[in-house]
Amino acid sequence: MKKKVKLSPADEQSLIKQLINGDAKAFDYVVSQYHGLMLTVARAIVGEAFADEIVQDAWLSAIKALPNFEGRSSLKTWLLQITSNGAKTRFKREQRQVSLDDGWESVSHDKFDERGHRLDDVLPWDEDTPDALLENEQLRIIIETSFRQLPANQRAMLTMYDMEGLDMSEICNILDISSSNARVLLHRARTTLHHKIEEYRGL
Amino acid sequence: MFQCKDVAEEASNYLEGDLPLRKRIGLFLHLVICSCCRNYLQQIRQTINTIATIHPTEEHQTDTKALAEKLRALSDSESR
Repeated sequence: MKKKVKLSPADEQSLIKQLINGDAKAFDYVVSQYHGLMLTVARAIVGEAFADEIVQDAWLSAIKALPNFEGRSSLKTWLLQITSNGAKTRFKREQRQVSLDDGWESVSHDKFDERGHRLDDVLPWDEDTPDALLENEQLRIIIETSFRQLPANQRAMLTMYDMEGLDMSEICNILDISSSNARVLLHRARTTLHHKIEEYRGL
Repeated sequence: MFQCKDVAEEASNYLEGDLPLRKRIGLFLHLVICSCCRNYLQQIRQTINTIATIHPTEEHQTDTKALAEKLRALSDSESR
């Protein structure tokens, strides 16, 4: 289901060489591509308050370590791992408690009868393609706004899995969560956005 | 026997192929008889594709141009 967004190994090697050589365009490119993603990860692990500082530190560490980057993972995963390590260290210091047990339900209980069957019909959406859905500017704004309102850990999961195409094992490692928790977060994020689209269509 | 409520809860795991065989078969058999759940799964698929196409980004106030320049300058001084 997920969309792969990956540089080829040759492109990535060339990008890393350009960074080591101090090419301004290469720096613009990596910061514009990865800064938001690194913030997503930091916010998911440690919360809003320290995220900016952690990502700034992660960039500094990454740039210093870049000449020793061995390419065992993609540059993106490497940057996220550095961010994650910094965030986890900070998290341990702050001891923030995170719980998944918040009474969340995938579809509201009042949509089912006592035997678990749906009370109302679910009709297919008319538009077959995302492009058709996206021609609607208002809907695009609703999706972007709803995405930004998701809890940080759901946003991170959705971004890394459905948009950036990272493997589940990489994501679990970066966010330091079990694969069953990761799947729960992913489903909650998708379902919330599905609700928002459905609500909009019902207006 | 799978119910609509179970499909709503397991939709992502089903689409990702992460369900154990017994549950997968149970859900599949439910889908054969329930058009609501077939439509629901199709809507979740469309939602995933739509998110990937829109690619919403994390909100932040960072001046990325300035940060890129700062990092480039750091890299320059490190390599000397």
